[in-house]
Amino acid sequence: MTLSLAVPDILVARAKAGDEEALEALFRAFETPVYNLARRMLRSSEDAEDVLQETFLEVVRSIGAYRGDGALWGWVRRIAASKALMRIRREQIRTTEELLEESTGRSGPPVGLTLDLERAFESLSETSRAVVWLHDVEGYTHEEIAEMMGKTASFSKSQLSRAHARLRRLLGSEGEGRSP
Amino acid sequence: MTHCTMDQLIALRDGEGSPWGRQHVAECAHCGGELDALHQRVAGLRALPPRHASRDRWPAVRTLLAVERRAARRRRLMRWSGLAAAAVAAGLLLGRSLGPAVTPAYAADLAEAKEASAALEEQLATWEGPGRVMSGREAAIAAELEDRIAVIDGALPEVSQEAQLLELWQQRVELMRQLYTVRVTRAAYVAF
Repeated sequence: MTLSLAVPDILVARAKAGDEEALEALFRAFETPVYNLARRMLRSSEDAEDVLQETFLEVVRSIGAYRGDGALWGWVRRIAASKALMRIRREQIRTTEELLEESTGRSGPPVGLTLDLERAFESLSETSRAVVWLHDVEGYTHEEIAEMMGKTASFSKSQLSRAHARLRRLLGSEGEGRSP
Repeated sequence: MTHCTMDQLIALRDGEGSPWGRQHVAECAHCGGELDALHQRVAGLRALPPRHASRDRWPAVRTLLAVERRAARRRRLMRWSGLAAAAVAAGLLLGRSLGPAVTPAYAADLAEAKEASAALEEQLATWEGPGRVMSGREAAIAAELEDRIAVIDGALPEVSQEAQLLELWQQRVELMRQLYTVRVTRAAYVAF
């Protein structure tokens, strides 16, 4: 989801001053995009809601440090992405998921079954989902993703490639009929 | 015939493909189709409808912020209490007695209460990891308990009667136990 969420400067100034109505207005403006970003990266809706909460606590605590150099949404989105990635890393889900993905049919539908894109995407591991979403949808570079994940750019590239290979298999017939 | 790998297709999609890759997809219908499919998948992801949270998290955020502000005020208060306690200690050093010495019977109970309080503090500090998320109700209960503990902490340096001192420490232990229950079990109800 690519968004251009403009927020009036006066609202930001009021939020910086601790005005609770302004802070709630910011929350309302970014609630859905932040939740959507977290939900696309994380399997659980509960975890995504926790990321939403953590993100706004951080936004309120740190808004005084926001200088207005870039769009506020870009700043908020970065916080949200970091929180979601921290959650993935902290709970050490990645290793377990990769094992599950490689086992037979425990992490989603069997390869070869044609799925719709959303279900196929949701069958990926959280790390893969995070990389695909941040790179292909939100437009982060591999270097930026690597920095947020505490990994290398090569790791991010490798995850993206594996994720697309898996999506291609899960989506089954989309490539058929195009072979020479 | 060698076809493009997914790595190469993604590099081409991102404008970073090799000359061989660019030439190959222009000539190979299979790889050209794969590149189109990659574009379509990404366009499909970008077009997915946004997901919405099922619950409104603003009340919880607002409550937690209020808790943080109260905690900040409490810390300021504690600093002043610390200064007051230091002043009392200075008075002691100058030879003023604060009251009767603690008798052995009370001393054992007092030591036990202080030990229990310290153990609970340590358990709480160990248990509370980063990223802990509480509901607004949990946070409000925890804040109430912390406030009551802070009131006791503020009063302790002022008390000279051994019976009162012991009673305050025992109250502190009980409040710490309740706080631990809220923090660890996320209990939504604690009988004050």
